[in-house]
Amino acid sequence: MPVVELKGVRKEYMLGSTKVEALRGVDLEIEKGEFLAVAGPSGSGKSTMLNMFGCIDVPTAGTVLIDGTDVAGLADRELTRYRREKIGFIFQSFNLVPVLDVYENIEFPLLLKKSLSKKEREKIVMRFVEEVGLSDRLRNKPAELSGGQRQRVAIARALVARPLIILADEPTANLDSATGTKIVELMRQINEIEKTTFIFSTHDAHIMREARRLVKILDGRIVEA
Amino acid sequence: MPLTLKLALRTIARRKGRMALIGALVAFGTFLIVFGTIFANSTSIASKAAIIEKFTGNFIVYSENSKELPSPFAFQTPLPKIRDIERVEAALAAMPEVKAYAPYAQNYGIIQIEREGRKVDLPIIYYAIDPESYAEVFGEVKPFEGSYLGSGAVSGGTPASGGVMISAFQNAEYKKNFGIEVRAGESVTVLGVTEGGVNSVPSRVAALFEPERYSSVFNYINFMDAKTFAAVYNYAGVAALPEKLDASLAAAEFGEDAIFALADDPGAGPIDVDSLKAEQLSGATMIAVRLKDSGTAKEVIARLTADESLGIKVADWAQASGFYAQISAGLQAFIYFATALVFLVVAMIFMNTLIINVTERTAEIGTMRAIGAERSFVRAVFVAEALALNLSAALVGLVASAIALALFSGGGILLPDLIAQFLVGGGPIPIKAAAWPFVLGVLAVAVVSVLATLYPVSVATKITPLKAMSDK
Repeated sequence: MPVVELKGVRKEYMLGSTKVEALRGVDLEIEKGEFLAVAGPSGSGKSTMLNMFGCIDVPTAGTVLIDGTDVAGLADRELTRYRREKIGFIFQSFNLVPVLDVYENIEFPLLLKKSLSKKEREKIVMRFVEEVGLSDRLRNKPAELSGGQRQRVAIARALVARPLIILADEPTANLDSATGTKIVELMRQINEIEKTTFIFSTHDAHIMREARRLVKILDGRIVEA
Repeated sequence: MPLTLKLALRTIARRKGRMALIGALVAFGTFLIVFGTIFANSTSIASKAAIIEKFTGNFIVYSENSKELPSPFAFQTPLPKIRDIERVEAALAAMPEVKAYAPYAQNYGIIQIEREGRKVDLPIIYYAIDPESYAEVFGEVKPFEGSYLGSGAVSGGTPASGGVMISAFQNAEYKKNFGIEVRAGESVTVLGVTEGGVNSVPSRVAALFEPERYSSVFNYINFMDAKTFAAVYNYAGVAALPEKLDASLAAAEFGEDAIFALADDPGAGPIDVDSLKAEQLSGATMIAVRLKDSGTAKEVIARLTADESLGIKVADWAQASGFYAQISAGLQAFIYFATALVFLVVAMIFMNTLIINVTERTAEIGTMRAIGAERSFVRAVFVAEALALNLSAALVGLVASAIALALFSGGGILLPDLIAQFLVGGGPIPIKAAAWPFVLGVLAVAVVSVLATLYPVSVATKITPLKAMSDK
């Protein structure tokens, strides 16, 4: 069963008085463990599609199935729970909580789950801290880290709750090319080790080459899958 | 530490400049609530006590025919006399709750004084009092020259007791307007206009005094003993005729001839005038009453006024003191209003700051929502932030209040005399600390904090994870 399935997904929204068709009937299936890049120019609809995968936006028409569940009909509380349990996010601007240190940022999703003891949390957090190579930065705040280090924290935070899918919206856009490459390599390594599905959007040709599957989108339609 | 509280405390620390301003305002507001409330309450208590002890007593009994309330400012229209004062006094004496009572009248007239062979008329406003009962109710008026009315001779040739007591302020006015200063012990003639003409009664200046309290009132009020007052206004009669004359009068046929015939009857007369006993008729227009326990005032007043045949009305201390009783109530209202205003401003600034915070933290909130934080979590973070900041600031306000109260608990709060005169009749305001304003302070801060977060929290909880995704 695919972890993500889009069937005839359309998304329209109003920009002032103009109707924008962000997605114009998208069909797509993504299997568990894929390392997939969604590529396309700005305004092509790739972010909108990622938002559908991440249960943070709902389609105007069509069906979005995440792990077999149609998420379009879920209430806000259920969607929140679904995101907490099934999806990890990596943001272009890292989006770390500025007042929490590295350890606390990574621990954050586990605290929201409320089901783990402090020791269990510590064990999980330390495993991913080591995996992203930040053992010596545990007590640093985001402001004290480089861009690459921040994105590593974001990757660890996305991984720590063992989600089904990790969504990364242009994860290298705010990094220099060398750091960006390292981040993508890191994501690919984790994908191989953890078998976590990675879906990331990009318009960087170099990053696209690192993906095992490339989905190209243009004007709200998939032109290559 | 719960995650929400950790986030709240660190956010406060991160935005310390902005938060310090709010904290200072909340601390000030709390101080206003606690110290202001205690000050206002202490003033109210002290004001009531001072008015009762030095101004009106617990209540004033006056004639039912009076159209005006008894007031020290009603000299232009002296109140009518209490019709049957003996019965009223008897009723008061029979009440176990009554500690003391003092009949008195307020009036105005002239004292005539001789200087260098010239008689000078000096206007005088006064209370005509029975010195003993007045002292029982209000304490003795302490003279700085001479002695309290009725307490002994001052100099030869003047009455052994009674007379007038002149306030230092009044004496200064005499000097200013007439170039004359009166001295304790010197003879004066008290003049009063009656229906039969102008009466003059020789008297003396018994003392000069400085009012202990309410100098804004008692600077203008002098004192005269009731006997002198009664003589001036003819409130005197013969207590009893000789028994023989009484019997003859009773036996005589009614008619002018029969009565005049008694003059030639050796059995009915002659009358030795020196043996006649004078009776003083009261000219009192008011009776100030002090109770053993002020809490019984309502009940005592109700019982007293229930007997309509006494022909009286009663004004309690608040009515009888005019606006003086309302000043402390006004101060209390002002302090509450000022406190409410400060809290309104604090709430607005705090709400505004929180909205700015929410706007600045849109991506952070969106991220939290994206990775699984529910709306209730976001709400809890902001409420925790508000409570942590404001309750800490409230604590500072409470400590500042406690320090201020400790500083003033000994000697009380000394205000400028003009203000103190109106609030408590002068002198320092004794502070009576209480625990409830502290509790009120904390509760008010908690309620304002929560109310001020309502709108910002509603804005924060409406932030969707999309905001985090779109924040690039």
